[in-house]
Amino acid sequence: MTKWQKQIRTWIGRYFDLPSDVMLDLPRITTIGSIHVYIENHTGLLHFSDNEVRIQYKRGQVKIIGKDLGVKMMLKEELLLEGEIKSVEFLPEA
Amino acid sequence: MTMKMQRDFFQGSMRIKVQGKMIEPFLQACVRRGSVISNIKRVNEHEAVMTIRLSEWKTFRQLRRKYRCKLSILEGRGLPFYYRKITQRKALMAAFMLSVIVVFLLANTLWSIKIEGLTPELEANVEKKLKTYGVSPGKMSIGMDDPNDIQRKLLDDIPELLWIGVNKKGTSYQLYGVEKTRHDTNKNLRPSDLVAEKKGMIVKTFIEKGRPLVTVNDVVKKGQKLATGQLVEDKDILVHTEGEVIAETWYKVDQNLPMNQVLLLTDGLEVREYQLKIGSLTLPLWGWWEGEGSQFRSENEETNWEWFGWKSPIDLKAIHHYEVDGKKYAQSKNKIQELGIITARESLNQYLGKEAEIMKEKVLHLREENGKVKLILLFKVHENIAVTKYISQGD
Repeated sequence: MTKWQKQIRTWIGRYFDLPSDVMLDLPRITTIGSIHVYIENHTGLLHFSDNEVRIQYKRGQVKIIGKDLGVKMMLKEELLLEGEIKSVEFLPEA
Repeated sequence: MTMKMQRDFFQGSMRIKVQGKMIEPFLQACVRRGSVISNIKRVNEHEAVMTIRLSEWKTFRQLRRKYRCKLSILEGRGLPFYYRKITQRKALMAAFMLSVIVVFLLANTLWSIKIEGLTPELEANVEKKLKTYGVSPGKMSIGMDDPNDIQRKLLDDIPELLWIGVNKKGTSYQLYGVEKTRHDTNKNLRPSDLVAEKKGMIVKTFIEKGRPLVTVNDVVKKGQKLATGQLVEDKDILVHTEGEVIAETWYKVDQNLPMNQVLLLTDGLEVREYQLKIGSLTLPLWGWWEGEGSQFRSENEETNWEWFGWKSPIDLKAIHHYEVDGKKYAQSKNKIQELGIITARESLNQYLGKEAEIMKEKVLHLREENGKVKLILLFKVHENIAVTKYISQGD
C-alpha cells in the first residue's frame, strides 16, 4: 500500500466519520476485563501457546501475553481468546 | 450461543488432536476455508486439541497433508454419533423395533364388537356371520373388509335385518341394527267361521267381517258358531270372518295348602371355599374343611377366564356356604286363604295370557283336615273365545 493511498483512506475516514478499523484494515481488539480478548479483522494466527498468542494483521503483529491462554473460538477473521491476560503488545512492521 | 450449541448437537461435533510442526498455518488454512474451530488448547509444542464440526472433518483431512499434520479423533459428540452408537447396539435396536411392531399390532387388532338394538338371537346370528367374514375380537383389523362391505354382506346374509350400521371406532366395531318387524302379509284369507273355544256367556261382540250369530248375554257351548262367513243364508257368498267375541268364562281352582310351613332362612353366617379347576381336575385351595353338615346351603361361582377367545383351562371356583336355619311357621286359615287366592290368581293369569281379565273370584269351599287346608276357588274371567275355523268347500 503506497503512502498516498494510506493518506487518502485516513482522510476519507475522518471526513465521513467512519470507524477506523473498517477504513484502515486494522484489527479491532476488545477485551473483557482481563479474561477475554476478542480480535476481529486479523489476517492470521501465527503462534499460540499457554502464555503467548501472536496474531498477524495488515501492518504488523499483535502479541498477547498471559497465563492459561486458549482459543475459545476461531473463525476466518475473528478470534476469541480466554485466559488470564497480562498484556496486549503491538509490533508494527517497520 | 444456545443456537450454536443446538446446531453442533444436531450436526455433530468432534474433539480432535492435531500433531505437527505447522499447527497454526494449518488451522489458519482451515479457517480460511470456512471452518469454525473452538476450544483450542495447546498441549505442547507439537500438539493441540480442539473441537470442530463433523462436516468440517473433510476440510481438515484434505489440508492435513499439505501442512504435514497428523489428525486423530478423541471423541464425537452430538446426534450423528449417538445414532451410530445406538445402531451399533443390536439388542437395543431389536427391542425398539419389536416394541414398535407390538404397538402397531395391538393398535390394529380388533378388541371388541358391540351390537346394539337387536334381540339376543339376532345378535348371536350377526356375531356368527361376522366370524365367518373374519371379524371377531382378537383378529387383526388389517385386511378386514371395509365397514361398508361388512354392512352390505350382513344385510345380504341376514334377511331379518332391516338395516345395520357398522362403525369402526379405533379398535372396536360398533353395530346398530334394526330388525324387520314381521307383518303377516300372506294371511290366509280363505272363507272361515268364528267358533267358540270354550263355554261362556257373551259379554261383548265385535265382528269386523262376517255375519254375527250370537248376541250379548247368550250362553254358548264349546264349538258353537259365533259368526259365519256365509254372508246371506243359503247362498254361496263366503268370506273370511274376523272379529272378537268377549265372553265370561269360569274356572275352578282346587288347592291343598299345608298349615305348617318350614322356611329355610340364612342367618348371615357365610364361609367360602376355593377350588382351582384345571381341566376336569379340581384342587381344593382354601376352606375345604368348611361347609360340612346339613345346616349349610351352598352356592357355586365359577370363573370363566378367556384369552383372545381361547378358553383358559384353569378356572377358580368359589363355593359360598350359607348357614341356614329351618323355621316352622303355623298360619291361620284366613291367611292361607289369602295366599291361596293370590297364587291361584297369578297362575291363572299366566295360563290365560295378557288379553284375558280376571273379574271376580269366589271361595267355594274352605276346609281344614289333617293339618292341611282344602281350598276351592271359582274365578270369573272375561276373555276372547273366538277362534277361526275354515269352511271346507269340498274342492
